[in-house]
Amino acid sequence: MAASNVVFAFVLTLGAGFFALNVQRLVRYMRLGYAENRIDHPLVRLKNVLTIGIGQRKIFRDPIPGAMHATIFWGFLVLTAGTVEILIQGVFSGFSYARILPHPLYALYAASQDAFALFVLAAIAFAYYRRLVLHPRRLDGDNLEHADAYIILGLIGGLMVTLLLANACQFLVDPASIGPEKFVSRGIAAAIAPIDAYPSTPATVFWWLHVLIVLTFLNYLPYSKHLHVVTSLINVFFSNTSGPPQKGVMRFMDLEADVEQFGASDVEHLSWKNLLDGYSCTECGRCTAACPANLTGKLLSPRKIVINTRQRLMEKGPVVTGDRMEFLHPALLHGEGGDAGAQTPAQVMEHRLLDTYISEEELWQCTSCRACVQECPVSIDQLDIINQMRRYLVLSESRFPEEIQPAFESLERNGSPWAFSPADRAKWSEGMEIPTMAELMERGERPDVLFWVGCMGSFDDRAKKITVAFARILKACGINFAILGQEEHCHGDPARRMGNEYLYQMLAKDTVETLNRYDVTTIVTSCPHCFHQLGNEFPQFGGNYEVVHHSTYIERLLQENRVPLQSAEGKRLTVAYHDSCYLGRYNDIYDAPRETLRRALPVVTLVEPPRSRDRGLCCGAGGGRMFMEERVGKRINVERTEELLATGADTIAVACPFCMTMINDGVKAKEADVAVLDIAEVVAGQLQS
Amino acid sequence: MKIAVCIKRTPDSESRFKIAASSAAIDEAGLKFDIDDFASYAVEVALQLNEKQGPGETVVYAVGPDVVQETLRKAMSMGADRAVQLKTDAVPYDGLAVAKALAAELESGGYDLVLFGKHAFDTSAGIVGTATAELLGVPCVTAASKLDIAGGKGTARRELEGAAEIVEFPLPAVVTIDEGIARPRYPSLKGIMAAKKKPLETKPAQLGPVRVTVKSMELPAERAPGRIIGEGAAAVPELVRLLQTEAKVL
Repeated sequence: MAASNVVFAFVLTLGAGFFALNVQRLVRYMRLGYAENRIDHPLVRLKNVLTIGIGQRKIFRDPIPGAMHATIFWGFLVLTAGTVEILIQGVFSGFSYARILPHPLYALYAASQDAFALFVLAAIAFAYYRRLVLHPRRLDGDNLEHADAYIILGLIGGLMVTLLLANACQFLVDPASIGPEKFVSRGIAAAIAPIDAYPSTPATVFWWLHVLIVLTFLNYLPYSKHLHVVTSLINVFFSNTSGPPQKGVMRFMDLEADVEQFGASDVEHLSWKNLLDGYSCTECGRCTAACPANLTGKLLSPRKIVINTRQRLMEKGPVVTGDRMEFLHPALLHGEGGDAGAQTPAQVMEHRLLDTYISEEELWQCTSCRACVQECPVSIDQLDIINQMRRYLVLSESRFPEEIQPAFESLERNGSPWAFSPADRAKWSEGMEIPTMAELMERGERPDVLFWVGCMGSFDDRAKKITVAFARILKACGINFAILGQEEHCHGDPARRMGNEYLYQMLAKDTVETLNRYDVTTIVTSCPHCFHQLGNEFPQFGGNYEVVHHSTYIERLLQENRVPLQSAEGKRLTVAYHDSCYLGRYNDIYDAPRETLRRALPVVTLVEPPRSRDRGLCCGAGGGRMFMEERVGKRINVERTEELLATGADTIAVACPFCMTMINDGVKAKEADVAVLDIAEVVAGQLQS
Repeated sequence: MKIAVCIKRTPDSESRFKIAASSAAIDEAGLKFDIDDFASYAVEVALQLNEKQGPGETVVYAVGPDVVQETLRKAMSMGADRAVQLKTDAVPYDGLAVAKALAAELESGGYDLVLFGKHAFDTSAGIVGTATAELLGVPCVTAASKLDIAGGKGTARRELEGAAEIVEFPLPAVVTIDEGIARPRYPSLKGIMAAKKKPLETKPAQLGPVRVTVKSMELPAERAPGRIIGEGAAAVPELVRLLQTEAKVL
């Protein structure tokens, strides 16, 4: 072993060792979060890694930067094989994969190295162009953030250049060592030859430069947002945002638990996975660019929530874990909002994630629409952090916008977020001869389906028309159904979304008790919030039912030709369907409402706004926003209505009573002559009279 | 400061009321009960005064059967320190009888201030607070919309028809609280959990003689449904005619 091999082995050990120390440090911080099991359903998780991670599925949602990133990422995977070869060469000169691989495979490997080095260089050039010339808004950040990106791009570019130059020089020194597959290297060699026909020193220099950049890059990562190079595949594996289990389900919370506090006000009240999310964020801003609150000029930025979580962990981690490597964590991990600037450990302990980094105002601006979660290429769950912090605000400090207190109180007293008398719950059904579960029970009968009407559908004047329309369809199809009548009350979803888990659990447990008492198996509802809550979150309390949203239910009836529709074609309608978040992003139901419209209206033209399906813009009512004033920025419902009106539709179709209210208000605000109808109303309008 | 707040458990005002078969009471089936709105303002005022003035004690009292314990816990979840239930089988209608039970209990309590709601939603009588003050022999201010305590003296604002008056009084005193004085806080889960462990004492109520009782109740006559006469300017003559001949308002 030559002296240079020994020196290299020493440098390599130093570089790898320092990196290992940093990994250990970051893992120690991450473990400040509470424990939770994230290895259930390993096959689904593996599939997510393959599709979202390796396949870059979500990256391509933004196609041009997506192609750029995928090239660099795939290039990385391919070139890492080459890096390993080079590192082994450093210790054992003369090592080559040629010795262990059959020739065709080696030739393919060698060609892939040169080809991807070229692709990556092109992608890096585009990345610089994008950052320096195009300035996409979602990449806005402070100077440090931009510097970080330039450094990383520079290092990757440097890796490619030194690799190719080292190979080219090596070819001139020893033509047998670089095969014809490394076509780029040989091409460069041809250009170098006239200048230096035997560049043995440059060959050594470029080789060393290459390995030094590899080690620098590795050790720069823990201080950079580019830590995602290490963490993102791991994060995708542990994430639940694309399932498992059901998407968008809020965490179960044990209210009897002997805990210091309820909900999260600082990093140690979040799960280790929330903290890993922080390590995985590359600040690409796709979440914030899709956030309805942020788009309409409000403070909330999901990207900031995640960056703040990481910043706070970097501030508090060293102090509480007794880190002796204080010098190892300069404020390179930075980002939106900046560091809170604590000088002493005591100041660090005075700070917390809530208030110091994330304000109450931001948290209450969230509509829980899940657009941020949907967009994140590395499956970060921004909403999970927001929800846990809202729980803290309400359960531990009773801090919330004062407009929602009446909703809480009314839920407690009247079983609905609005102060209507529970006695009037089934008033819409008067004269329709719809039996209640209790009446059927008395007669010893059982319906096939329970129609869960929901609070909007029971009390809101506009939504009651949807309820009646849907009930008419059910009757026209001869469905044997019943309602709970006065025994129905809110399942608590609005309280849960607004952080009031205590009130939610009271209402939810009571509802489960009622439903189980009647042995309910199948539920149909016209409200996506009820649909999500009853179907996806009630299993947490022993409520297991088959819950169907009315869009799916009506579509099935239409498919089976059970709906007695008029034969007349009527006039041609141009309809724009507005996707409900809780139907779409929470439950992947996009086609049923559209298909229902197509089948019910023989001469319909369906038009789509630019943001539709899983990119659909929220109406602004979710996450309890229905009960709060929207004082900052443009109104979300107006923004959404403008998009829908711009399609030129004469009818806007919705499938959610909350969306109905918001879009209706938007249409009124724009003084537009457009009808807003629920899909059930569209179908009911086509029934034979 | 040592403050007592006397609270009542009443049905939610949004309820649809029915008269019970006895025709002298409302039918309580299906009604949701909670702390009376005015009483909850009084609890909030007491908590704010003690928060502002430093160490003190807020004690809540309620007369009634065991269900009032739930109401007392609610007040403690808002922040009251302890509670006393003066147990009876039912809350008598006669406010003086209730006031006697409260006064007998409060007399030896050493309170600087005793707060009540202006009146309770169910009877709207407003007797208990004033009668208790009389029985205790302390000054009474009714329907305070603002209350300040300083140097053993109280200052209260009272809203009048088209005016307001500021009154002064020495402590100890009884004050009944009007709406709008303070927004009652929403109990946090932390508060609810803490309230479960706070002391709640139950004693027999020494009610005075019940001399006033409800003989019968009746609901207001149902309003006749509205009528649509027509639309636009064409309907105006008919509207004017009906307003003159039927409604007789023109």
